[in-house]
Amino acid sequence: MHRKIVIAVLISSSLLSIGGLGLAHHSVAANFDQSKTLDVTGKVKKIELRNPHSEITLEVTKPDGSVTVFHVEWSDKNALLRRTVPVNKMHVGDKVTISVNPSRRLSNLGYFRTALLPDGTILKDCGFAAYRDSVANGSKITC
Amino acid sequence: MSRMKRTRRIRNSAIMAVFLLANTIPAQAQTGKRAELDGVWILLRSNTETPKLTPAGEKARAAYDFQKDDPDMRCIPASFTRVMHTPSPPIEIRQRQDSVEINYEFMDVRRRVPLKKGLAVKDAPYTASKYPHMGRSVGQYDGETLVIETAGQRAGVLDTLGVPGLYQSDQMRTIERFIADGNMMQVTVTHDDPFYFLQPLIVHYTYLRLPGGKILKWNCKPEEATYERFIAR
Repeated sequence: MHRKIVIAVLISSSLLSIGGLGLAHHSVAANFDQSKTLDVTGKVKKIELRNPHSEITLEVTKPDGSVTVFHVEWSDKNALLRRTVPVNKMHVGDKVTISVNPSRRLSNLGYFRTALLPDGTILKDCGFAAYRDSVANGSKITC
Repeated sequence: MSRMKRTRRIRNSAIMAVFLLANTIPAQAQTGKRAELDGVWILLRSNTETPKLTPAGEKARAAYDFQKDDPDMRCIPASFTRVMHTPSPPIEIRQRQDSVEINYEFMDVRRRVPLKKGLAVKDAPYTASKYPHMGRSVGQYDGETLVIETAGQRAGVLDTLGVPGLYQSDQMRTIERFIADGNMMQVTVTHDDPFYFLQPLIVHYTYLRLPGGKILKWNCKPEEATYERFIAR
């Protein structure tokens, strides 16, 4: 019990740590504007679970009827596995709406936040902090 | 086969078995906090003390572009400091009788550090044979603390995550100090590089034990890691 409290305090203080996990995934913070979210609706063309970042490719139909490609970057495959994110609920060919943090430099790229699947389910990823907390508490991660 | 030959063969097999055993059995003699270092760990937090840069360090940092200059986007681990700054992939420590294995999931870095008194760091083998640019290391214990000295690191990017855009010269010497306390581990890394830093750069990491944790394959492919792939399409 005492150890859990100590770890909880350490985790809380870690959030204030300069250069620590507040800036974690610098490439995410640097590449994507985490103050903004954008909903992108399209058909899933590819789902690639890999390291260092997973990727979902969407085919998006524009108002003029033309089709463009939008890329959604996500956590590394190993992290998604450890966090037991149910990625297999999304399939190639599904029409989905993915909420992303837009890229700061590229208009065809965003970072995954949540996905609305065809059956109305929302696919989400609790992220590393939730996983780390679950390890500290000896509990199972749940989103 | 003559009796002498058979005896020699048995003796050689026995010697080989002892040798293999010595290299695979964890350091059973380690006790207390030393023994606690063995295991798989995930990053809880890190803190880079404010870098005091030389003019060369300032200039290099100002010119750093995270989308072009980050070696990780070519699947190259810039440095152990950079590797340990990646929060998700864990690290594993296994102490042997005469060496320490440190396996970093990020970029599949497998490190072997000899624990050999009197071995000069310049004479040590490459610490990660797959990545010779990460230099040569030797280790020893200072009480309960595992201390690793590294030199011979190739000039280039030192960090892209804790403090993005820090560079290192090939003269840099690094001291890492690992100490465990139950389910927590503190790692303090000191980089001494007068070319880029006015005073040694110190980075602190706190790790949390990952019970039952395993190091998975990373299998990074440069064409899947770079942001160029989004522009090329």
